[in-house]
Amino acid sequence: MEIDPAAPDNDILVLLQGCELEHAFALLFERYEGKVYRLCCSMLRDATQAEDAAQESWVRVSTALASYDRRASLSTWIYAITRNRCLTAIERRRYLVSMSTADIEAEITALEVGQVDPEDLSALLRELVEFLPERYRRVLTLFYYEDRSVSEVAKMLAMPEGTVKTLLYRARAALGEQLRRRGLDDPSAWWDVQP
Amino acid sequence: MKPEELSTQTTSFDTALDAALARALPPPVPTAEFRVRLRAALARAGDHESMESRRGRLERERREGLAELENGYLQLRRRTLGTLIGGAFAAGAGVALLFPWLKATLGEHSMLALAGLGGVVGLVIGVSACLGRSVLDDPIARL
Repeated sequence: MEIDPAAPDNDILVLLQGCELEHAFALLFERYEGKVYRLCCSMLRDATQAEDAAQESWVRVSTALASYDRRASLSTWIYAITRNRCLTAIERRRYLVSMSTADIEAEITALEVGQVDPEDLSALLRELVEFLPERYRRVLTLFYYEDRSVSEVAKMLAMPEGTVKTLLYRARAALGEQLRRRGLDDPSAWWDVQP
Repeated sequence: MKPEELSTQTTSFDTALDAALARALPPPVPTAEFRVRLRAALARAGDHESMESRRGRLERERREGLAELENGYLQLRRRTLGTLIGGAFAAGAGVALLFPWLKATLGEHSMLALAGLGGVVGLVIGVSACLGRSVLDDPIARL
């Protein structure tokens, strides 16, 4: 198959064509390690589970690289593998975590946004993001993880860019509403937020 | 949000919130052990892969052996059937040629002599087949 010189990851495709799998994998890992991990973080919301899912994804990539058929771009292929691993982890977690209603209530109480130090606006923002509906939260966190690139988020989550923009708009509107309700709608307060 | 992605209705609150979110949500970085664990997992996967390929090769060889055996068995059955039919025709032709001479020589005992000859030939073939069969390899051992 001909390789388009302008195609993204063209160098890796050339290596794959020459059956230099180890070198191709090393380049791929160097280029996508962070993105795969961030995608896992945004989907799983837990650093340890994200590392496990990222590890499983890379193992899968390494074993399947020889049979990569170029029907999709390398990035799309890797993101699809990663998303599938994350969805499997989410399913696994659903089976493993069995809490009683009282446990769940206790957990929710512990996570009450009101318990966050009102002075710590950064922590408050993170808590509010955690309380957003899953689709909004996933898109919003990835958007900021990926340096505000709508196209990258769209590729990572396999969504049209328009959908990403809509979800972002709604997520930010929901956050704004929460902040206004708490009387935190003075923009000057937000300029000082520290990571 | 990038300036070109901000809507025209963006307020200063939205801009401030965007900047605050960018600072509150820094990109997560995997721990230092991540690469170590990943390298070990990749090595394990490599071992697993070689075991898989070995298993695949053995299974392929076994399938090929079975196919070869089945092919040999079919050939043997065809040959046996061919020999039987050919032998029967040859015996018939032999009897048709021999019978007038036998009848002329032995008279009314010719039928008895022909049956006796047939019995002896059959016995010889049967005994030799039995002896030959006992020295055949056990076909299962070839698997």
